[in-house]
Amino acid sequence: MTHAFESTAPKPTLESQEGEDGSAANIESRYWFTLSNTREERFFLLLAVFIGVFSGLAVVCFRLAIDWTKIWLIGPVPEPHSWRLIVAPAVTSLVVAFLVIHVFPLVRGSGVNQTKAALYIYNGYIPFRTAVGKFITAALAIGSGQSLGPEDPALQIGASLASALGRRLDLSRERLRLLAPVGAAAGLAAAFNAPISAVLFVIEEVIGRWSAGILGSVVLSAVSSVVVVRWFLGAEPLFRIPAVGLVQPAELLAYATLGIVGAFAAVVFAKAIAYLRPRLRAWPHWTRYFQPLLAAVGIGLIGFLGAPQVMGAGYEYIDQAMHDQFTWKMLAILALLKIVATTLSFVTGTPGGMFAPTLFVGAMLGGAIGGLERHFYPALIGSTGTYALVGMGVLFAGFLRAPMTSVFMVLEVSGNYSIIVPVIVANTLAYVTSRALQTTPIFDILTRQDGLDLPSLEEQREQTVLRVEDAMKAAPTPILNGGDSVDQALQSMQDLPGDFLVRLHPSGWRSVTADTLKRLVGEGKGEMTLGSALVTPVLPYLHPDHTLETALRYVYQVPFVPVVHRADFGQLEGVISRDEVLEKYRMAQRT
Amino acid sequence: MKIALKAVAHRPPVILLFLLVLAVLAFASVGRMVNRFHQQEEALARHLYERGMKAQSEGHAEAALGAFRAALSYSHDNFQYQLSLARALRDSGRTAEAETYLIRLWERTPQEGAVNLALGRLFVRQRVFDKAIQYYHNAIYGVWPSDAETKRRDVQLELIEFLLQHGAYPQAQAELIGMASASAIDPSLRLRYADLFMRAQDYGHALAQYQQTLRTDIHNQGALLGAGQASFQLGRFRTAQTYLQEAVHVDPQNASAKRLLETAGQVLASDPSAPSISDAERNRRLRAAFLGAGDRLDGCAQSRGIDLSGQSSSHDLPSDDLPRLKAAWQEMKPKLPKLSGSHSDSRDQHLPDELMSLVYGIEQQTELVCGSPEGPDQALLLLSQDRAGVER
Repeated sequence: MTHAFESTAPKPTLESQEGEDGSAANIESRYWFTLSNTREERFFLLLAVFIGVFSGLAVVCFRLAIDWTKIWLIGPVPEPHSWRLIVAPAVTSLVVAFLVIHVFPLVRGSGVNQTKAALYIYNGYIPFRTAVGKFITAALAIGSGQSLGPEDPALQIGASLASALGRRLDLSRERLRLLAPVGAAAGLAAAFNAPISAVLFVIEEVIGRWSAGILGSVVLSAVSSVVVVRWFLGAEPLFRIPAVGLVQPAELLAYATLGIVGAFAAVVFAKAIAYLRPRLRAWPHWTRYFQPLLAAVGIGLIGFLGAPQVMGAGYEYIDQAMHDQFTWKMLAILALLKIVATTLSFVTGTPGGMFAPTLFVGAMLGGAIGGLERHFYPALIGSTGTYALVGMGVLFAGFLRAPMTSVFMVLEVSGNYSIIVPVIVANTLAYVTSRALQTTPIFDILTRQDGLDLPSLEEQREQTVLRVEDAMKAAPTPILNGGDSVDQALQSMQDLPGDFLVRLHPSGWRSVTADTLKRLVGEGKGEMTLGSALVTPVLPYLHPDHTLETALRYVYQVPFVPVVHRADFGQLEGVISRDEVLEKYRMAQRT
Repeated sequence: MKIALKAVAHRPPVILLFLLVLAVLAFASVGRMVNRFHQQEEALARHLYERGMKAQSEGHAEAALGAFRAALSYSHDNFQYQLSLARALRDSGRTAEAETYLIRLWERTPQEGAVNLALGRLFVRQRVFDKAIQYYHNAIYGVWPSDAETKRRDVQLELIEFLLQHGAYPQAQAELIGMASASAIDPSLRLRYADLFMRAQDYGHALAQYQQTLRTDIHNQGALLGAGQASFQLGRFRTAQTYLQEAVHVDPQNASAKRLLETAGQVLASDPSAPSISDAERNRRLRAAFLGAGDRLDGCAQSRGIDLSGQSSSHDLPSDDLPRLKAAWQEMKPKLPKLSGSHSDSRDQHLPDELMSLVYGIEQQTELVCGSPEGPDQALLLLSQDRAGVER
């Protein structure tokens, strides 16, 4: 066990950090790596708490900035038929476009992919200027009524702050790379007031893998940021949750319908963005000053003509939808208009996130379907609030394609586990249907449109995993025992070529050739047992369910690696060598 | 030296201390900013709330709801705004949302009288009576920030109104007895209690309350009329007559008092068992009652198309008894002259009672078949209900 299962995480080396001049920074860098691993990890955890605190403070300011911008620009209660709803977003969009083009070019879009790119491409580097720019431009855009949300920008602000802090402390490249998701989780948790969902989202969408090394830091930063936000802004959820629950098992059919319809809506939403975004970006460069204006006027018109609900993040209207304040027809119209408005805002490069619009569309769609179903089956269907709540999860699963986050988000926001079955049914159907209708998730589409190729957890999940059992072959016979004498072993091998396995007690394996045994006999060790006579190192071993990637680490060191039963390490299932592994990969490539 | 200082500055404890100081400073700055923001939000919320109240008073329910909601979006925890929004939602028929709001408020302050009252009213709207009564009681025993006694009393009166509207008379009586037992009660309030007792069909307590009111204000028109009505309902026609005469005296235009007084007078004039009348008068009353009952029986049967000569085989319907009563009446009629017999041997001692029993039976049965009578028949019917209490 000792060989095969040692941590393979790359360790920072002194050479990688030390400069040539012996400057203070390098003295400091040297200091970090004289710290023991445990102390460094402990320091990193404390740092995560501070990142959470600072991100939380930044998000508090961000939320205040959005609120005040909204009050000043479109008024505390946006009312239809007010020219302000068109003029204010239009003028603000020009300011935002100027800032994005000339001052903060990295703040376009939501911020999720930029954070992911920082992790995978730029070694965790996100300029501090990005945080400042995102703060200002997103606050102006969302506050002026652009149909975008504050969560993704908050995620990027958190990541940017963490990155800046890490650079200031001259952390290692590896640690610096990990700080971006730590900050991202803090920012998202603070904006969404939901630490579990934030952690899951960052793992599902930003990091793309579960890693014990980073999980603790991500959780600590998320929790500390939420504590800060609650300290200043109160523990109230983003919307009030009415009494929710499953009326009867037959109602699951209604939720299944919601899941499928939600998936179609999510695909329409994603395809609209995927189609329009590159086309607008292909327009002449000067049009970028006016593209956000186009979105602002469109959204302003929607508000002016009677649906100001689609302007801004729209959490207050999600709240109202959950409390039966709209008819199902109105809910359906709002869902449709929000898709249009958000598509306009997003494809024109206006800084802002897609979380809130996704939840908005989901809540409206859920409420509409719940209302419609209740119209026909009044005894069967529960409250509109339950459908709106489940609908949010459905769009989250179908559009953002984060199925785990979608389930936990609904549970965390509602604080009610009684709807877990409807949530799982609807979200799973939405996710599966959406995947069938559109293979690539929206975030991956956006990164590819930006010319980047970032790892996708969804793709990793769906990849066929090659395992040792697919490539191993039968072990060469005979199998020798550690208790056999060298003479006995040599006799049983009968001058056969190649390596043979020796089973040691209580467990462990070594390899031996006939030549080695002959040499031992020549040295007068023929009476000795194999266990005591052999000085070759113990072989690493694998289990049949290990991946070939794991096997690759060991097959280069030894002629073959024994594959043993998990319950009995002395029971040999087969052996695997480099040739079998490579051949299996070649076959997989061909198929 | 400079390098050494930098090296110290980069030691983890120093860095953490620095970050801690920075966090404290940032906390303080953001705290000040948030406080200022909250103050401005409060001012804005107050403005919106006042706009909502104005809209509500002008009958613009939707505008009021929008303003209350906006006020709450800037002052999430304001109890008054939440309560106003919940009330506005309830009054505009959005009971589900109002319930969510109010239950959340109640969970925060279960002792708050206003919240319990709002919930009580909400459940009244939703016709969930058990819960309504529960929250009304919570409100009665809950905390009220000012003028608690008056508010508790008003809630209890509202609860009684609600109980009366839903025919829960025993519960309403129980509530009223508790309220009315207080020693120092304003006469106008006592009069209200008395009226409520009347509506709760607790005429005894109603009469007592009216009488107490009259002790402080002998000419109180409402109390006189109420006392007359309560006495009338209790079958105490002599007492009723006294109060009603006084009521008519105070307010000669009061038609209902006059009508009731007339009926009470008829009852007293029809009662053959009145203590201070002569035998001749008693016999006259007996004869009149008997003949009147016969006429009532014939008239009722005729109006309903009932053949009084036929024999009914069943007694399932009230009308089935009319032929039997007619037969009894006809059988009794020949005995009528015996009432005026001068010698005791020619008089049947039990005849008056038998006659009146038959008369009362006819009046009660014809009421069931043909509805309430008027005039002398009404008087006889009232007599039949409490023969002993008439003169009390």
